[in-house]
Amino acid sequence: MSSKLSSRLFNLIKKTSCALCSKRYVGVNVKPENVDPFMAPYSESPKDQQRLYVWGMAEHGALGDLKIRSRERQIQFIYRPVRLRFSYSHKIKDLACGYGFTVYAVESNQYKLFGCGLNTDSQIGYHDPRKGYPLGLILATVPIQLPLKEPNTKIKAVAAGRAHTLVLTNTDGVYALGSNCYGQCGRKIIENEDFSKLRNVNNITLDDGISKIICGQDHSFFITKTGKVYSCGWGADGQTGLGHYNNESQPTIVEGDIKGENIVKVVSSADCVLALNDQGEVFGWGNSEYGQLLLDSDKYQVNIPRKLPLSKGIGKITDIGATGSACIALNDEGVVFVWGFGILGKGPEMNQSREPTPIPSILFGKNQYNPETRVKSVYCSVFHMAAITSDGNLYTWGKNKWGQLGLGHTKDQYFPLQVSVGAAVKRVSCGVDHMVALCIPYQ
Amino acid sequence: MNSLSTSEKAFRLLNGIVCLYKPAGVHLSGCRHSLLLKLTQELNLCGVRSPENRVVISGDTTKELNVKVESSYADNVLVVGPRYQTQDIKCIWTTHLGKRVSGVCVIGLNKGTKMARNLQNNYPLRTYHLHGQLGIMTKNMYIDGQVVEKGRFDFVKRENVDKLMSTIQASNQKKMFELANVDTQTQTAYDLATKGLIRPASTKNPLIYGIKCISLDLPNFIIEVNVINEYESYLLSLVHEIGLKLRCSATCTAIRCIRYSSFTIQQALLMKHWNLQYVLENMRECNSSYKQMSQLPSFITEQSYFESNQKLTGIQ
Repeated sequence: MSSKLSSRLFNLIKKTSCALCSKRYVGVNVKPENVDPFMAPYSESPKDQQRLYVWGMAEHGALGDLKIRSRERQIQFIYRPVRLRFSYSHKIKDLACGYGFTVYAVESNQYKLFGCGLNTDSQIGYHDPRKGYPLGLILATVPIQLPLKEPNTKIKAVAAGRAHTLVLTNTDGVYALGSNCYGQCGRKIIENEDFSKLRNVNNITLDDGISKIICGQDHSFFITKTGKVYSCGWGADGQTGLGHYNNESQPTIVEGDIKGENIVKVVSSADCVLALNDQGEVFGWGNSEYGQLLLDSDKYQVNIPRKLPLSKGIGKITDIGATGSACIALNDEGVVFVWGFGILGKGPEMNQSREPTPIPSILFGKNQYNPETRVKSVYCSVFHMAAITSDGNLYTWGKNKWGQLGLGHTKDQYFPLQVSVGAAVKRVSCGVDHMVALCIPYQ
Repeated sequence: MNSLSTSEKAFRLLNGIVCLYKPAGVHLSGCRHSLLLKLTQELNLCGVRSPENRVVISGDTTKELNVKVESSYADNVLVVGPRYQTQDIKCIWTTHLGKRVSGVCVIGLNKGTKMARNLQNNYPLRTYHLHGQLGIMTKNMYIDGQVVEKGRFDFVKRENVDKLMSTIQASNQKKMFELANVDTQTQTAYDLATKGLIRPASTKNPLIYGIKCISLDLPNFIIEVNVINEYESYLLSLVHEIGLKLRCSATCTAIRCIRYSSFTIQQALLMKHWNLQYVLENMRECNSSYKQMSQLPSFITEQSYFESNQKLTGIQ
């Protein structure tokens, strides 16, 4: 045994010395004269490479692998966009920010889902470096295991709520991770279930096939390929839209005014839900305490979808968003309308509006020098709103307690202000206290 | 325009603003001189009025006098010089461009001097393309200077440059509200922002509204910057500073102004086209775009400019 080892060692030494010698000789012969050894070329970064920027609350780890040094310094907030290297090694297909955690869907053959941040309800999977003691806080971006039936299954979309995650695949339907205390994962509610040690993932399939998934605070929506909406979860404010105020544990079709409509988008960040059909009409249900649903009567909760009485002057709506107390809509001319209560983006004095009012497009960078600039999409979280323009500029406004606006401070912003992201923003995801932006370099 | 019969008609048309392409390496005063020289030369060639005649009455006063009409030397071109001279045309520029800067330069001629002044009072936004070279540092921050330092630059990547650009833009966004003396939390800030770009209260401090790297082909790079109240050495030091922040050195190779207010580089007349025909055509174009601009509600006319100045002095 020992002789074998020694002979192996000898061989190794022989090999290395040979390699060193040969290198020396080769180096002398091959080395071109005009190349300075201290000027060896660095690799170039490709032009179409995705870039990921994160900002907001950093304490719970939802921003992912920041540098070790920053962890030692115990940084609580990052109130300016910071580039993550994660997108260089993984091609990101979709991303979602929940309440203190982030989920990434990645195009790869190995791990297809990554997550970081709060994991109190196993919303980003079961991770126990010490057996039997799962982590409640994950400070790095880690792969999440899914019980996929086929290895070639691709993840199409992800969505994240308060403490649950939905993952849409192209073959297996939807996987639901995390808390099921109100039935938001689409399975039967078990009293006093311990979600922190949850290992199993619930698989949800619908007959029509699911094309889009949306997470509210503690409720979930599934849009089928035919444009129908199914919902489950918490219904105390009628946010499931099923005609009652109870919790629903089985995905059930939502009817009312959206019956027969082809719904293309549903948004919900807290307990008010807006839906958009392919004709550009908006429907809403759930909480209407702040006049989000434009009701005539003093009704605060609606448990059945209602068509919003938007005036004809607004035109065709192309994008919608809903914060906890206000709503935002974008029409096909690129004009942004807001209504509701809170910071609407029209200055500190205007904190309430009973009907949709436009935000001047000059605030989104449209002026005599850039007459073509228009808003392309709008996003909402519980406390703030965001808009992306055709130039790839990101504008944010709203509450800024944790620096989630990315403006370089933690003061509230009362009108849209540009975030200095060093790339053209393609899409963002707004969490309650952090934001993630997927960008490409300026061309 | 070739049908102009006399130079007087042409001279009367020379009222307004023209958009010229100033070449680098020439002072603006030199440009102005060569423009006026060319214009006057062409005006003189167009056919000037003939010299005025002089009536000569001679002879003995007791007898019948001799009345003769003679050509007057006091009005002879050979004595008094050409009919049109450079000092006959009033000419001012809007923003001063330094010697190394090339690009759009708006000049007011005759009655257009007033328009040029109005344009300047409106704090127009300028867009520059700053061409730079990494890895070299010179004494005067321009490529023609004495080289002080040479170094490695190939570790610079697009991400690093973009990050720096966004940092510069964010700090200037903050500065914007500071210079305008408003707090972002107030209603005044919102009201100002809805009127358009927030302009600084003074004309002294340069302010960047947007900065973007549009090409990075190591070691060369081009940066597009929207700026107000800038001057040549500020732009040079901006490139220099970008180099230092990228952990190497940079020097400026060219500065090109591609837009002044709404006058773009496409409109600008090249030096070879600085003649009467092209200038008059360009002037018509520029005057109509000026007219459009002056009808905007945000345009500061001469009167409102004086009023606001009086208010300011009244406060002080």
